[in-house]
Amino acid sequence: MTMGKLARLTLAITLALALGATGAMAQTAPTALVVQVSTEPPGLDLTTSPASAIAGVVFDNVQEGLIKIDRTGKMIPWLAERWYTTDSKNYTFFLRKGVRFHNGREMRAADVKFALDRAMNPETKHPYRTQYDAIQDVIVKDDYTITVSLKKLDATFLYTLARQGSVIYPREAVDTLKTQPLGTGPFTVSEWVRGDRIVLVKNKDYWGKGLPKLDKVTYRFIADPNAALAALKAGDVDVSAFGIGPESVDELKKDARFQVIVGDTTNDVTLSMNNSKKPFTDKRVRLAVTHAINKDEVLKGAMFGYGKILGSNVDPLNPYFVDVSKRVPYDPAKAKKLLAEAGYPNGFDVTFRVAPQYLYTVRSAEIITSQFAKVGIRAKIEQIEWPTWLSQVFCLAPCQNPDYEMSIIGHAEAWDIANFANPKYYFRWDNADFQKLFAESQITVDDAKRRDLYVRMQHMLADEAPAVWLYMHPRLMVAKKGVTGLWKDLPLPVLDLSEVSWQK
Amino acid sequence: MATLAVTLLLVSLLVFLVVRVLPGDPALIIVGIEGSPEAAERIRESLGLNRPLIVQYGDWVGRALRGDLGKSIQYDVPVAGLIASRLPVTLPLTLMAAGFMALAAIPVGLFAATHQRRWGDYVAMALSQVGVAVPAFWAGLLLILLFAVKLGWFKSGGFDGWGQGALPALKSLLLPAVALGLFQFAVLARTTRSAVLEVLREEYVKTARAKGLAERAVLFRHALRNAMIPILTVAGIQLGQLMAGSIVLESVFYLPGLGRLAIGAISARDLPVVQGVVLFVACVIVTINVAVDLLYGVLDPRIRYE
Repeated sequence: MTMGKLARLTLAITLALALGATGAMAQTAPTALVVQVSTEPPGLDLTTSPASAIAGVVFDNVQEGLIKIDRTGKMIPWLAERWYTTDSKNYTFFLRKGVRFHNGREMRAADVKFALDRAMNPETKHPYRTQYDAIQDVIVKDDYTITVSLKKLDATFLYTLARQGSVIYPREAVDTLKTQPLGTGPFTVSEWVRGDRIVLVKNKDYWGKGLPKLDKVTYRFIADPNAALAALKAGDVDVSAFGIGPESVDELKKDARFQVIVGDTTNDVTLSMNNSKKPFTDKRVRLAVTHAINKDEVLKGAMFGYGKILGSNVDPLNPYFVDVSKRVPYDPAKAKKLLAEAGYPNGFDVTFRVAPQYLYTVRSAEIITSQFAKVGIRAKIEQIEWPTWLSQVFCLAPCQNPDYEMSIIGHAEAWDIANFANPKYYFRWDNADFQKLFAESQITVDDAKRRDLYVRMQHMLADEAPAVWLYMHPRLMVAKKGVTGLWKDLPLPVLDLSEVSWQK
Repeated sequence: MATLAVTLLLVSLLVFLVVRVLPGDPALIIVGIEGSPEAAERIRESLGLNRPLIVQYGDWVGRALRGDLGKSIQYDVPVAGLIASRLPVTLPLTLMAAGFMALAAIPVGLFAATHQRRWGDYVAMALSQVGVAVPAFWAGLLLILLFAVKLGWFKSGGFDGWGQGALPALKSLLLPAVALGLFQFAVLARTTRSAVLEVLREEYVKTARAKGLAERAVLFRHALRNAMIPILTVAGIQLGQLMAGSIVLESVFYLPGLGRLAIGAISARDLPVVQGVVLFVACVIVTINVAVDLLYGVLDPRIRYE
């Protein structure tokens, strides 16, 4: 082939591709939505994995529970029309009639029993099995009535039924939950192209009147924040659910094509200290660490000011939240004094182990490192891969002792104060008084009394400083103008799209 | 053939051991931050991860020889099928990048060689210097900003499959292919230039010119053909590198290819997938090397293999 032929061929290919360009621009119909998410779910089974990426696709969209947590965090009757209890030990639920699974069969009480029994069964790999520990028996009264009796009082029982682990599915489809989850939700899973996208389509027989409003939802997995931003700006995705960093928010706010939704979450970004290791066995050192951190500066530097300062392990969306962030305020002089009292007049050396997959953890650690220097704490940052973090810092079996001094991560679970009552948790904080308080709160069903216990726990955590609660990670969601119905706050990790639509 | 088999066996052993030395346990990643130790142990057992290493390795190699690469931990589907499903993205992407690389680099290199120490040479070499210096992911982002965000000619990424037609499919691979090929283009252009320059100094080129052959014939029939051996050697190595480079570009353009499968599998510690992909890529590269060796003989009949 000669140069001339080569050149002509190249030109022809280029032209052909450029011509194809104009014809193939995707036309987004007003009833379809493309959503960017960062992480592809590892399977679609809510009953075997706690991964929040699964909940983002399946929970509330494909599968639903007896009770739903709405966008304000309130528990509302859902697949159960109503329920009653006289002793807070025996709960009777009345199921909504005429609710059909995606395979056309009507949901019955036997399905509810099957789902709950399976969750309680240690043989099933249910990720939240211990939440069902209080259940004694599940009794089917008739096709639409079911009674759950508890061994002991459990203040979180109804909440457990509202969570992602308690979705109801047809028992005959239990073996395909991982790839083709069936449920009662407003959408069905139509296609999953591994590594690329999941497509949900409207469930035409959905029991909720007028829902869902969209015909089709496409989840696109784009992990790289720059690529996500480019896809948004090029118009290839309509909504970025979790993919945009705080550094892009101001720029996007000025862009007339987009709306930026900044809301609250249950994600507490926590600086963990290994309480079983010196010097963090000493409460004075832990308090000194807390006094040494200027949280406002951290929030500004790491999150560009988005988020809320925390003082304890209860998030602002929790009904029992009290603001204790001023209890142990930024006070470097006091930090130095406490360090001297504890026997560290010249400070000490410490290493942060953080996973750059969660960039905010590295950014926060960098700022805190420079703040530490002012009180004599010499901190180093070691960046490790997420799987390494999980096995060494977070330390699940076979790991015996967590291998870290300090770390930072967001704890996204709602009501996760329980972690501090667990001496085996990677904080390794073992405090009998706190454990007693927590145990009491679990069996206290009276709201006012329970609130009082929660307030006392928050005060105690702030005063004992087993960790430093830095800030609530904000919800930063970007959508094209015209998309309505998205949740502003996230009282639990979901991406409920049933009420989302395009405004005319 | 024997060396080939030994190479692949070594690669298989290496990748098997490396993924097991990595900290991070697949079972832990499956149960995640809310899971219990018992759940992790159950998963470990079901994956066969608590068997002795040598048993696991023998089992894996034995099955691999029969074409069974095991099942993905995170997707719960056969690894071979996963790899096959990613090839329609990575293969054309690599080939397009290689095509771009060769179609651009050889003419540019030839041009620079025939215009040595003149303006054309300097411009061509400056361009290729830029190509060497710009990281592929950054080139990719710049291309997206210009052609997708600013001009709107292309999509910012994604691949909707060949079912949508050959042209749209090729189109969605064009920008990543250019970004991917850029670095290798620059290297190959420089290689071509110096290889051709070397040949142009040879006596037989003088002879060809002396007997009055047209310059075009001298260049293509005598100089380029003889310069092809080093060019081909480099290009063969580059083809392998292009495949590796697709890992980065597939992330930037969120293409569902082999590279992204590997990245995802590594961070999920999906060991069967990591092993399968590495073994597959090793096979491809070994095959390319064999093909290059055979091509030598075509280009230069003096080279013979017994």
